[in-house]
Amino acid sequence: MRWLAGAAVVALVGLLALGTWGLFPRPPVPSWEEATAAFGARNAVAAIVLGARLWDTLLEVLVYAMALVGVRMVLRPLSRVQPVPPVSETPLLTRAADILLGPIVVFAIYIASSGHLGPGGGFPAGAILGSGLLLLALAKGAERLAQELHEPSLERVEYGAIAALLALGGLILVLSWRGSWLLVGANVLIGLEVAIGAWVVLHHFASSRGEV
Amino acid sequence: MNVALTGVLTYLALGVVGLLGRGRLCAALAILAGLAALAAWAPGFPERVMGGLPWGVPVAGDTLALAFWALILFVHAAVLWHERHRTGAFHPLLTLLMGTCLGTVFSRDLFNLYVALELASLLSFLLAGYEGKARAVWASLQYLVLATVGMTLYLFGLGLVYGKLGTLSISEIAVRSPDLSDPALAVGVGLLLAGAAVKGGLFLFGLWLPPAHGYAPTGVSAVLSGVVVKMGAVALARLSEAFPVGPVLVALGILTGFGGLLYALWEQDIKVFLAFHTVSQLGYLLIGFGLGGPAALGAILYAVAHGLFKGLLFLAAGTGIEGMGVRSIPALAGHLSLPVVLGLGVGTWAIVGLPPLAGFAAKGALAAGVPSAAKWVLFALGVGTAASFSKLIPLLRPAGRQGGLGGMGLLMGAVVGFGLWGLAEFSGLMTPGAWGEAFLGAGAGYVLYLAVRRFHPRLPRFTLDRAAVATLLGAVGLALGVLLA
Amino acid sequence: MEGIAAAALGIALGGSGLWTLVRRRNVIWKLLGLNVAAGGAILFLVAVAHRPGARPAIEGLGSGPAADPLPQALVLTAIVIHFATLALALVYVIFLTEHRHTQDVHKLEREPEEP
Repeated sequence: MRWLAGAAVVALVGLLALGTWGLFPRPPVPSWEEATAAFGARNAVAAIVLGARLWDTLLEVLVYAMALVGVRMVLRPLSRVQPVPPVSETPLLTRAADILLGPIVVFAIYIASSGHLGPGGGFPAGAILGSGLLLLALAKGAERLAQELHEPSLERVEYGAIAALLALGGLILVLSWRGSWLLVGANVLIGLEVAIGAWVVLHHFASSRGEV
Repeated sequence: MNVALTGVLTYLALGVVGLLGRGRLCAALAILAGLAALAAWAPGFPERVMGGLPWGVPVAGDTLALAFWALILFVHAAVLWHERHRTGAFHPLLTLLMGTCLGTVFSRDLFNLYVALELASLLSFLLAGYEGKARAVWASLQYLVLATVGMTLYLFGLGLVYGKLGTLSISEIAVRSPDLSDPALAVGVGLLLAGAAVKGGLFLFGLWLPPAHGYAPTGVSAVLSGVVVKMGAVALARLSEAFPVGPVLVALGILTGFGGLLYALWEQDIKVFLAFHTVSQLGYLLIGFGLGGPAALGAILYAVAHGLFKGLLFLAAGTGIEGMGVRSIPALAGHLSLPVVLGLGVGTWAIVGLPPLAGFAAKGALAAGVPSAAKWVLFALGVGTAASFSKLIPLLRPAGRQGGLGGMGLLMGAVVGFGLWGLAEFSGLMTPGAWGEAFLGAGAGYVLYLAVRRFHPRLPRFTLDRAAVATLLGAVGLALGVLLA
Repeated sequence: MEGIAAAALGIALGGSGLWTLVRRRNVIWKLLGLNVAAGGAILFLVAVAHRPGARPAIEGLGSGPAADPLPQALVLTAIVIHFATLALALVYVIFLTEHRHTQDVHKLEREPEEP
C-alpha cells in the first residue's frame, strides 16, 4: 500500500512536470483593455469575476453559503451551553476595539466599492469586515456579540443578499446590462455575504469546542 | 439561452428563499418555473457565450441538456411528493441541488463545469448527512475528501489545457482539433478526465459512491443516484466532445460496468447494492458517449431511463427500510408492503431491460447505435444486471397493503410511459428478435445467479486510503493512456 | 523564470499534499494535506497566468506585457470553493469526534452497528 501510494504520487508529479515543461515559454496575452472597459471596470479580474463570468461567481457564492448552512446544521445541535468568555478583562482590548471598528468598517466599504477599479472586491472586503467582527468577539465575548447580532435576522440578510445577487446576475447575464454601478452592487452584496459567513463560522466553531 | 438561464436563476433563488421558510412551496414553484422555462426553450437553442467574448461562459441547449432537464424536473417532482413530510432545510437544499444540475447540463465551459460540479457535490454532502447519523456523515466525509482530490486533479489539468490552448470553451477547443500527442495536453486531458470520473463515481475513481448513496436518506439516494452522479458523466461527455478521447471513455465504461457488477453481485445491503448498480450502469453511459453519434443519443436516453427507474428502486428500497428498520435483503424478504413490492418489481423489470418498460427501450436504442463488438459487451452487462437483481426476487412477496405509493407512482408511470414511447419510436424494438434477446438475457442472468450465489468471495474493501490511492493511480493511468493512445 | 519556479512549486505542493493525504491516519491531517494540494493547484493556475516581467491586469498600472487576467479570476473562485469545502469537512470531523470519539481513519472505518 505504501509503495503503491508513493508510486502514484511520484508518477503524478512526474507527469505534471512533463506536461508543464511544454507550456513554456508562454505566448503573449491578447489585449483585454477594451473588454474590461465595456463592463465599466479598470480591473480586468473584476470585469471577469463580476461581469463575463458572473455565472461562475454566483455558483461560487452559493458554494460558500451552502458550507455555512452545513456549519449551522451540524454544529447547532452540538453547541455548548457554557459561554465563551472574553479573552481578556483588561480595558485595553475593549478600548482598542471601539476605536478600530470604525476605520475597519470604512476600509471594508472602500475595498468593496472600489474593487472594479483596482485591487480589492467583495471577498477581501467581507474578510476585512469579518476580522473586525473577530476583534469585537475577542473584546466582548462571542456569546454577547452573538446576542447583539441576532442570528435569525442575520440569516435573513444573508439569504436576501444572495437572492439579490442572483437577480443582479439576471440583469448582467440575461439582459446584458453594463455599468460600474452593477459591479459595485455585486461587490457590496458579496462582501455582506462573506462577512456574515465569516462571523457564522467563527461563532459556531468557537462555541462548540467539544471535549475530545 | 435567456429563458433557460432565467429558469435556472429562478430555481436557485427559490431554493435560497426557501431556506427562510416555506421550503416545500418554494420547491413546487421552482419546478413550475423550470417546466415553464423548459417549454419555452425546447427543442433547443444554439450555442451562445453568456457574458460575451472574450471571457464569457458558452452555453448551448442541445439534446443532452433537453433530456436532462426533463429528467431532473421529473425526478425532483417525484421526490418532492415522496418526501413531502420533511420540513426544514431539506427541500430548499434539494431545490438548490436540482437547480445546479439544470445549470450544469447546458454549460460548455471547462471551468464552469468545475464550479457547478463542486456546488452539486457540496449540496450532496449536506443532503447525504442530513439526518445526522454517524455512519452517513462518515460516508459523506469520505465523499468530500475523494471529491476534493478529484477536483484538485481537475484544476491541475485545467491549468495545463488552458496554458496550452488559451481557451476554456468546449466548442472552441473542438474546432482547433487539439493534438493529444503533446504531453502538456495529454496530461491535462487525463487529469480533467480523472476529475470528472471521480465526480461521476466511476469504478476505481468513485469508490465513495456506494456508502454515500447507500446510507443517505431515501429521497436523497434517489436523487443522487438518479441525477447527480450523471453530472460527472455529462462532464465526461463534454470532454469527449472537445478532445478525441472516445476510446478512453469506452475502456473506462467497460471497467466501470463490470467492476460495479462484481461488487453488486454479492452485496446484501439493499441500498448499497443499488448504489453499486448505479456504478455499473454508468458503464453503459460511458460506452455510449465514448462511441459517439447514434450511440451517444442512446446513452442520453439510457441516462434518462436509468434516472427514472433507479430513482424508483431507491424510493421503494428506502421506504421498505424505513418501515422495517433492517437493511439486508434476506431480512427484508417477505415483510414488504404492496406499494414497496410494486415499486421494486417495476424497477427491477425495467433495469433488467425487459419489454415493454423504459430499460428495454433505452437499452435497445443504445444497442442500435453501437458496432457489433460493443453489442456483446452490452449483452454481457445486461446478463450481469439480471443476475445481481435476481437476488431481489424473494422480496417480491407482499405482506399487507399498508402505505401509499407516494412519489413512486409518478416514477412508475414515467417508466411505463417512456417504455411505450420507445417501442413506438424505434421500429427495431417491436421485433421478436429484440424481445427474445431481452428475455434470453434475463434468463441467462437468473442461471448465472443460481450458479454464483453459493460462492462468497472476499472482495477487497475500499477504505478511504485505498480509494484515494486508487483515484491517484487511476489519474496516472488515464494521463498515460491519453498520452500513449 | 518566475513562472517556471511558481509552476514547479505548485506541483511540489500538490505532490506533498496528496502524499500527506494518503499516508496520514488522522482525518485532520488528511484535510490539511488536501488543502495544501489545492493550494498547489491554485498556485499552478497563477503560474499559467504569469508572463515574464508582467504588469498586473489593471488598466493604467505599470508598463510592459500584461498578465493573463482569466486564470487569476478562476483562482479567486477556486480559493473560495476550497475554503468552503474545507470548512464543511472540518465541521463533519467535529461531528464525528463528538459521536465516535476518534479522528483515526482506521477506527472510523470500523462500522458501528446502528440501524
